[in-house]
Amino acid sequence: MTRATSAMALTIGLVVGARGALASPPQGVALLHLDASYLHDRQAGTGLGLAGFRLHGLIGTDAPIAYFGGLDLRAGTTNPGGFAYQTDLYLLGGGRRLGRTGLLGVAAGVGASGAVGTLDDAVDLPVEALFEANLGGRLRVLGRARAVWLLAAPGRADGAPHFGWTDELDATFAVRVGHRYRDSGIPSGNGYFVGVSYREARGAQWVGATLGYSVDVGSP
Amino acid sequence: MKLALALVAATSCTVFQRPLVAPPNDQATVLLVTGGLGHPIEKIARHPWFAARRAGETQWTIWEVGGGGSADDPFDNQPYLEPVLHGVWRGAAGADAIACLEREAPPWLAALHYRVWPGPNSNSFGDVMLRRCDLHASLPVTAIGKDYRGLVGASWTTEGTGLQIETPVLGLRVGLKEGVEIHVLGLGFGFDLWPPALIVPIGSGRLGVADR
Repeated sequence: MTRATSAMALTIGLVVGARGALASPPQGVALLHLDASYLHDRQAGTGLGLAGFRLHGLIGTDAPIAYFGGLDLRAGTTNPGGFAYQTDLYLLGGGRRLGRTGLLGVAAGVGASGAVGTLDDAVDLPVEALFEANLGGRLRVLGRARAVWLLAAPGRADGAPHFGWTDELDATFAVRVGHRYRDSGIPSGNGYFVGVSYREARGAQWVGATLGYSVDVGSP
Repeated sequence: MKLALALVAATSCTVFQRPLVAPPNDQATVLLVTGGLGHPIEKIARHPWFAARRAGETQWTIWEVGGGGSADDPFDNQPYLEPVLHGVWRGAAGADAIACLEREAPPWLAALHYRVWPGPNSNSFGDVMLRRCDLHASLPVTAIGKDYRGLVGASWTTEGTGLQIETPVLGLRVGLKEGVEIHVLGLGFGFDLWPPALIVPIGSGRLGVADR
């Protein structure tokens, strides 16, 4: 199966999975992350630091699969220095609510990324899988992985050494320590998280850390 | 890992914060206070109010969006959480500030077409009053909407030593005292030159010395 075929199959699956999700009174989950990450390529001695926010939402009905989408907007710097950015809009996705404010979702979208002097500017076609769930009253686990197909940046093509079906890949797993609330019947929570991040790009493996703060809100 | 945890713990930390003590009523006084919105967004969104009191009075007059009136305690403004004191004007400066707020606030509030994001909202009110009344202080970066200037706009900063140009998507504030602050969809990042601090869109908005 070619990369284009696999991307198309995934897109069709997301459309089918999300259909009818908005047919009756909506319920869902919204997540906001503010975070900063730094990833280091030990072989090349270079790094990439990005900070920004991620806003994701799951909205649907009692159906097993609900509509899932989001917006990631991040900017920062490379090491050696150069302005870097990464923004993705996820418009097409499906997911499932886990508990009151947890979720598991997959979404595809479009975006742009690049860095002055080091990363060619590219149009991104990302597919992101996201998982969040509460562990007791204060802990929450956060996981996300993103595969990206790139347009207009031949220098960054086939940049993931262990995932040949995509051009770049990154993932983060984090644990949040915070609070959970139920005000006016609305379940919510917030807290600080710390995690490990991994990226494959430009033929190299990058490893780093992510720090952040997140808020989650669910329908009653 | 220890460093990471320490950074997390310090993310919303400021030192030398102004104590929440109301000055005596021997002089006219205006206070600029912000409080966090309710759960779960108390760490990422704040709301400002001015508390004003003429010499000899015992009650404070509160100027804000969506509230106002009189109060015994200028820092107890329900439902806002974790109040922070950002500015104090006393004596002649306080009297001038009271006169200005009484002149400028009512028409601005009456004409307000409120929008949660990007503004105008309660933080836009705080920012406009600071500039119109020549009150040199900064609202925290978590007062989202303070930089609202319409689709495109530019102005002097509230501190009076810098300039800012803003759109709802991107904005930049640069000043001798203010340092550099980048705004992305209302979120702010940067560094303050004096008092020194990193600007982060969480908590009090600063990692370093409290603004004063």
